[in-house]
Amino acid sequence: MSKLNRRKFLKAGSGALSALALAACGGVGTTDTATAPSGAASTGAAPSLAGAPSAAGAASAAAQSQAPSAAALNTAGRTRVLFWSAWGGKNAEGVQKLVDDFNASQSDIVVENQFQGSYEETAQKLTAALAARQTPDIATMSEVTWNRFYLNQTIQPLDEYFTKANFDPTDYVEPLIKEGTRQGKIWWVPFARSTPIFYYNRDVFQKAGLPDRGPETWDELREWGPKLMEAGGADMKVFAYTTAKNYNAWHFHGNVWQWGGAYSDPELNALLDEANAVEAGEWLRRFVHDDKMGYMAEDQSTDFINGVCATTSQSTGGLGGIATSAKFQVGTAFLPQQKQFGCPTGGAGLAIMANAQEEQKQAAVEFLKFLAMPENVVFWSKHSGYMPATNSARESQDMQAYFKENPNYQVAVEQLPKTQKQDTARLIIPNGDQTIGTGLERILVNNEAADKVFADVAAQLERDAQEVKQQVKDVPLT
Amino acid sequence: MVIVNPRVHAPAKRRGFRREHLLFLAFVTPNFFLLGVFSYWPLLYQAYLSLTRWDMISPRKLFVGLDNYRYMFGGSEFYEVMFNTFYFTGAVLVGSIVLGLALALLLNQRLRGRTVARAIIFAPYVLSGAAIGLVWAYIFDPVYGLMRVFLNFFYIVSPNWLVDTTWAMPAVIIVYLWKNVGYSAVIYLAGLQNIPQELYEAAKVDGANSWQSFWHITVPQLSPVTFFISVTTILFSIQAFDIIAVMTGGGPVNATTTLVWYLYEQGFIAFRAGIAAAAGMLLFVLMLLITMFQVFFVQRRVHYS
Repeated sequence: MSKLNRRKFLKAGSGALSALALAACGGVGTTDTATAPSGAASTGAAPSLAGAPSAAGAASAAAQSQAPSAAALNTAGRTRVLFWSAWGGKNAEGVQKLVDDFNASQSDIVVENQFQGSYEETAQKLTAALAARQTPDIATMSEVTWNRFYLNQTIQPLDEYFTKANFDPTDYVEPLIKEGTRQGKIWWVPFARSTPIFYYNRDVFQKAGLPDRGPETWDELREWGPKLMEAGGADMKVFAYTTAKNYNAWHFHGNVWQWGGAYSDPELNALLDEANAVEAGEWLRRFVHDDKMGYMAEDQSTDFINGVCATTSQSTGGLGGIATSAKFQVGTAFLPQQKQFGCPTGGAGLAIMANAQEEQKQAAVEFLKFLAMPENVVFWSKHSGYMPATNSARESQDMQAYFKENPNYQVAVEQLPKTQKQDTARLIIPNGDQTIGTGLERILVNNEAADKVFADVAAQLERDAQEVKQQVKDVPLT
Repeated sequence: MVIVNPRVHAPAKRRGFRREHLLFLAFVTPNFFLLGVFSYWPLLYQAYLSLTRWDMISPRKLFVGLDNYRYMFGGSEFYEVMFNTFYFTGAVLVGSIVLGLALALLLNQRLRGRTVARAIIFAPYVLSGAAIGLVWAYIFDPVYGLMRVFLNFFYIVSPNWLVDTTWAMPAVIIVYLWKNVGYSAVIYLAGLQNIPQELYEAAKVDGANSWQSFWHITVPQLSPVTFFISVTTILFSIQAFDIIAVMTGGGPVNATTTLVWYLYEQGFIAFRAGIAAAAGMLLFVLMLLITMFQVFFVQRRVHYS
């Protein structure tokens, strides 16, 4: 190698620098470098209403690169609202359509929809975004993840903005909007809310000579078990539980209530080690290991569709997919009772970030208002299987007609008023969902006694609750 | 590495010395800067974080002393995690060496199509771990999986691989080995081809059979390669993440939760930055110890010549 002298070095360096400069010029010409303030200014983009120097440039760049349908829109001069969504596949198309419709419906605001992965991944990215001060204006948060952002006061109470936007939030279904209401203010509005429902294979039920309905109680399902296994063939299991990763603590939440127990009380004290909850766990253990009727599926939807199990518990949000994929008649029912009925709510809502600009906040509320219009709620609900979040949509003729055609869907909606908000152990205690879920796996996989497992889980929940007790005192949960 | 030219010490060459010196700085500074920003600073910051309680959102980081270490070492889960980490790393290490060497010996034969075979064996190494994990998760599916069909063919009852606490870890190890064994095979192959043929000829003259020449020539001659493979395999496999994340997510019942997955779980699922940082510090110390052991102890014993 020849020795590099200073002149050669500088020459090479200046070459590299001029290449960079050229690249930069190219960027300015195409507005792709919308994040660079000089780039946005020199393209002659119309000054944005937002007052943020790069907003107009960013929006037009996004329009060019992202949604083809938005490219036709004139976005200059509009307030740009950045929306983080958490749905892939079919539901992503539904969300994008709502966003496109909103953008086409008026000329002041443009919403940019960015898919961020699962609820958990979206929460991870939002956490990083808060540290980097690069947050979206409005974000999707699950019934679990929104609590962290609420407790840290990073989301915005919306009542004043609703008043300014002339938007009446009382149209939201009461148990759902109440969940997002704390300290008398609305922080989190329902959008993709769901509950677990009971799914059963009607063909197998018929073959087994069972009535065409879900079991009244879990004991009834257990009585039906031998008939179902006989009708379904050697390998068919009666009921599929699932893994911690796949939210088994959400599905089991109903069981704990049905046996008269609870995960925890509102003050974050674990109650899972008390008699009723342990009884529910022990019933599950016997059902799986002694009766060989239940088992842990990695994904209960896949197993149900493929006839590996005769019944299961899954989100209403899975109804669309299951009904279209299954090659048999799918039946749905309320969750079985035991000592009483119990069913948790779940799914996601939307929240506006506290550090967004005033103008973006008001614009984002306009978007929420649009999403709550009956025709949009009905469209989204039919498209996804999530609950219709407003009363007006639920009572609309369109929705009622849809119920008639899809009685399975009606079951989910009828169950909704009987559902309740989950216990603090899963919602508030850090990692509570996985702590309980891993405990359930110990019963499901390892056949460990429920009293021992739940005692361990309760001890860990108690320990982990300490981390948030002060926060919960500072920022009330009611 | 900079080789210092002896003539720069002569006073008459002072200018030359300075020039070399500046050049040295020009080359080294960017690297040091990057190392500082992306390695040393995060390490120091991690050490600090491990003494705090922080949910990654709150502006305040509460100083808690050694609480996080107490939490980590105090939980029963922790011993499973350490066991799993050593189980995984140990199995991958032994597998990479034994299978890698076996494959290398096979590929070193003058067989037809060996170039193609080499390419096939090396190919999984360059594939994305996430994609491999997804495909293998299907293969291990207890109901529809290819593995079940394969084992049933031999009248073996297939375990429920990924939902069974006993079999989940072997499943992950199989996939990790399948992906990475090509790497050690190729390195071993290069090592085999560097062994002087005269040694084998001399052994033959002395009447050694093929097992004896393998044991007394090939294995010792390859010991620097084995050393290199052990170092890289341990350091990479102890940090293995992608396949575990995609195939099992640390489950079932923590059966595949290694130290790295524990770190991720605490940091990015439970959002306990402090405990994740404490786990990170432990991982750092562990890797430092392994590297030191290898450098000071093993390296001395494997080098010939």
